[in-house]
Amino acid sequence: MASTKKSKNEKQSSSAETEWSKRALAEPVTVQYLMRTLQELQSEHEALKRELIKSRRIPSGRIGAALLIAGSSVLAGSVFASSATLAFIGLGLTFWGALFLFARPIKFVRSTLLDSTAIASYTTIDRMVQDLGYKAKAIYVPPYPEEAYLPQYLKGLKEMIVFIPAEDSSIMPTLEEMAKQQFLLKNQKGICITPPGFGLSSVIENELRARFPQIARALTIESLYDSLPRVITSNLELAKGFEIKPENELTHVRITGSVYSSLYSREQGLRSIHFLGCPLTSAIACALAKATGKLVTITKDNVSYDLQTIDVWYQTLEA
Amino acid sequence: MNFPLSLWDISLWIAVTAIILLVTSELIGPYSDYFGDFVIEKTRLRLAALILGAAFMVTVILRAIMPY
Repeated sequence: MASTKKSKNEKQSSSAETEWSKRALAEPVTVQYLMRTLQELQSEHEALKRELIKSRRIPSGRIGAALLIAGSSVLAGSVFASSATLAFIGLGLTFWGALFLFARPIKFVRSTLLDSTAIASYTTIDRMVQDLGYKAKAIYVPPYPEEAYLPQYLKGLKEMIVFIPAEDSSIMPTLEEMAKQQFLLKNQKGICITPPGFGLSSVIENELRARFPQIARALTIESLYDSLPRVITSNLELAKGFEIKPENELTHVRITGSVYSSLYSREQGLRSIHFLGCPLTSAIACALAKATGKLVTITKDNVSYDLQTIDVWYQTLEA
Repeated sequence: MNFPLSLWDISLWIAVTAIILLVTSELIGPYSDYFGDFVIEKTRLRLAALILGAAFMVTVILRAIMPY
């Protein structure tokens, strides 16, 4: 049956092609002809777009409204008929209609799409680091607080950056150099880039501030230990499990069922992910740097064979 | 032309609905292995369940204060 349908489609497309070619041969290629063809194609494109939107539209809103209307009518009818059964039915329908409208399905993005958007930036960093021959670990530099006063030439220090030194012995760039927002630092060998988890760290921070009033005043390391697991697992649903605890002057984070876990797969072969972290572990590094006000580096990471468990150890360094 | 349900009827209905919603919100929670990927506003569903639970408690208190 499928083959019949396929052949039918092929026939249709081939007949359309012949029609187009016949018309193209019959009519000389003039501006009017091209304009008409363009208009036809545009209207066809609009029709297809409408059809696509229609097919993608989630009907829960309509179902909710229908249930709400039906429920209210039955409830009103039960009052006139003095029927308890009708009242129960009406109450149920009205409630479920309201619930359908209140807790409707949310938009979602497949995690594979998340990975595919992140891969490009990691591959670029890999190429840059390989080309420059850098081998040292990345250092997350905390930004100055938003409310802190800084002269105009140091305004760039309010942005979170990650410094990738050429060697482990490389010294940190000066404040002036970091404030210039340069990519390639001339005196101290190294590069400064925006952390891959910068955007996610802002989302996490906003969520933390919204959910926990004590964090709204000041982000501390203790409050981060307490609140981060709940925000990452329950509120943002970025992972199924999340543990964060101090461990011998390091901070150990264990993530299970992360949405970014496939970035660590051998097939991807990304190297920068181990010293910069995936967007989630990078966002945690940003949060740690902000909370402590110190430099943070990813000292070690360990990914289970099935990519379900990711262990990351962070170290805070004195500037 | 009176509303056919008494406070006791509504209390029972609220209790049953609250239990259904609380069980559903637990089943589709992010920690659940089976329905954890269910795409819905889970926080809102839980909120509705908790509100219904609280409403049931109110009806119970009302009955305790005014038994008849």
